[in-house]
Amino acid sequence: MENIPFSQLQKKLSSESLSSLPFMNIAILRNVTIEPIEVYLRYLAYQIGFNARISFGVYDNIFQESAGKQGSIITKGLDYVLVFAQLETLSPNLICDFASLKKEDIEQEKLRIKNYIISVLSGIREQTNAVILWHSFELPCTPALGILDSQMADGQSEMIMELNRITRNLLQETGNAYLVDMNHPVKRLGIKEFYDKRFWHIAKSPYSLLALAEIAEEDFKFIRALKGKNKKCVVLDCDNVLWGKVIGEEGISGITLGKTYPGSIYREFQKVILNLHNKGILIALCSKNNQEDVWGVFESHPDMILKKEHISADQINWEDKATNLRRIAGHLNIGLDSLVFIDDSDFEINLIRQILPEVTVVHLPKDKAMDYKDILASCGLFDSLIFSAEDKKRGAMYKADEQRKKLVCQTTDLKSYYKSLEMVVTTNLADDFSKPRIAQLTQKTNQFNLTTKRYSEADIQEFSKSRYSDVLYLKLKDKFGDMGIVGVCIVIYKEDTAVFDTFLLSCRALGRKVEEVFLDNCLKLCRLRGAKLAIGEYFPTNKNIQVKDFFQERGFKVVEKNGTKCITSLELNNHTPDIPDFFHEIISDFNLISIKEKHK
Amino acid sequence: MKERVFQIISDIMNWPLEKINNDSSPDDIETWDSLNQMNLVLALEEEFGLKFTDEQIVGMVNVRSIMETLESFSPVKDIEP
Repeated sequence: MENIPFSQLQKKLSSESLSSLPFMNIAILRNVTIEPIEVYLRYLAYQIGFNARISFGVYDNIFQESAGKQGSIITKGLDYVLVFAQLETLSPNLICDFASLKKEDIEQEKLRIKNYIISVLSGIREQTNAVILWHSFELPCTPALGILDSQMADGQSEMIMELNRITRNLLQETGNAYLVDMNHPVKRLGIKEFYDKRFWHIAKSPYSLLALAEIAEEDFKFIRALKGKNKKCVVLDCDNVLWGKVIGEEGISGITLGKTYPGSIYREFQKVILNLHNKGILIALCSKNNQEDVWGVFESHPDMILKKEHISADQINWEDKATNLRRIAGHLNIGLDSLVFIDDSDFEINLIRQILPEVTVVHLPKDKAMDYKDILASCGLFDSLIFSAEDKKRGAMYKADEQRKKLVCQTTDLKSYYKSLEMVVTTNLADDFSKPRIAQLTQKTNQFNLTTKRYSEADIQEFSKSRYSDVLYLKLKDKFGDMGIVGVCIVIYKEDTAVFDTFLLSCRALGRKVEEVFLDNCLKLCRLRGAKLAIGEYFPTNKNIQVKDFFQERGFKVVEKNGTKCITSLELNNHTPDIPDFFHEIISDFNLISIKEKHK
Repeated sequence: MKERVFQIISDIMNWPLEKINNDSSPDDIETWDSLNQMNLVLALEEEFGLKFTDEQIVGMVNVRSIMETLESFSPVKDIEP
């Protein structure tokens, strides 16, 4: 669940947003206090489009409620019955006095419990066909007999597991009834976080807030699966998700992927993804990269767990990810609401959250790659209650076909997203603080790099000091944080012309149109320096194909073009910039400092 | 800090913020029952990142005692107004 505070969840479920939604009627039979779970259940129901109405049976009256007497909450028209029959209350001796019990006593008690469950289940079924979610008996925090317990065939833990097996069988016989395994959420949180002793004693409420949220999530894995709302396809970003670092920058031997640290982190994550594939979930890729770079890793990297044949659809290009997700859903012939989108970038996650709210997003926290596999494995979004031989083969059935269907890209949505980022773009002349980073960017940047000239700090220093050249940098900040210096431009003046020796953008800054602002500010500086003509240079490489028409698209005219270079020019008097209006603030301090014409 | 506490009381008890003051208690806030009391304590713990003892919990019976309990956590300056 998103991290919304407990006190806020109620407010989020305002009556206006719920009024148009269909009802989901849930009855909760319990022998413990568990009311705070209500708001979590209602929120999870709201997320799948339902207005949940929840009623609690009388405390410790599970049996009486199931018998359907007057006033019982078990009625027709129920969708779900949740049963919380905690063993400590149902059979205190088995939990607290186990060591003193004789074998016959234990067997008798097990039989009593079995008959109890049979009565409750048949009582419920007489009143309603609702789905029954029965929460399993929890294993004790510490078994009564301590370390001896695990050595015994008839110890306390074994007995409780046997009771759970009995319960599972009875539920299967009842039909439309499932066992919710409480031990998974306990293990995920740990016993210390799961139980709240204070409220157990004060109010007979055993579970902490965190535990209740986990239990509600566990219940909804069932509810979603039964409604067919379980997800069918996981769409993955590649860089810093399937492997560490950026393939376009580091090359195949530079990415983090291997059998030992740190590459093993990503290899284990890929194994979890492969497990999804084996369960019949479709795997798709959505990455801002050159196709050859990504497939190169799939084909040649010795430590890839995922192979090309596991991928059912892909959109590897420089377009926005919302358009790409629409295409993927279209190819696979599934709804957008069947997709789970996984990415490490705040920018992409929030873009999809805003533009395609029906897609479930999973944001993998940067710098926490070791958590990726647990986040994916425990999200429960793909859980289904059926597993067939068909599921194993499904991935192979959906191969993306050659024909691309044309889809409308809703640019107005994109513009409002960009605006919501509150981007602040700053252009400045290089100073001592920025020169190291500027040099570093010229050495590392491969993709959005027009000329791919590599410079040392000393080179940058020279360019900066010289009367015949300028070094500019671009800084980018948005409401999520400061990305620092993300662009470099080196201009060399010759007579009346200003030659763009270097123009590059770090991959973090791509897809936001900041290059328009940067170019415009650089051209402004050229005019202030007295230049009349700007010259753009492009030297093609394997990696910078995406910018081959950069200058032409912005009004420059081609002067010379062959296999090794493309030279373009722009009359500075004629330049009419087309700066998008969604930037929050554009800063350049050229007006503040006195700019002299550079010596021609 | 008082504003944050009153807001949470209003949200949990579903009671208008204007009607909550230092003297408020289950006597005048009709929705303040034992279940909402528990919800309130849990919400305050989450909001301020605190853990009350069981004794403190049973003592938080009205707004005055809640404010006193919160103020007893030192250093108080950790709780931003």
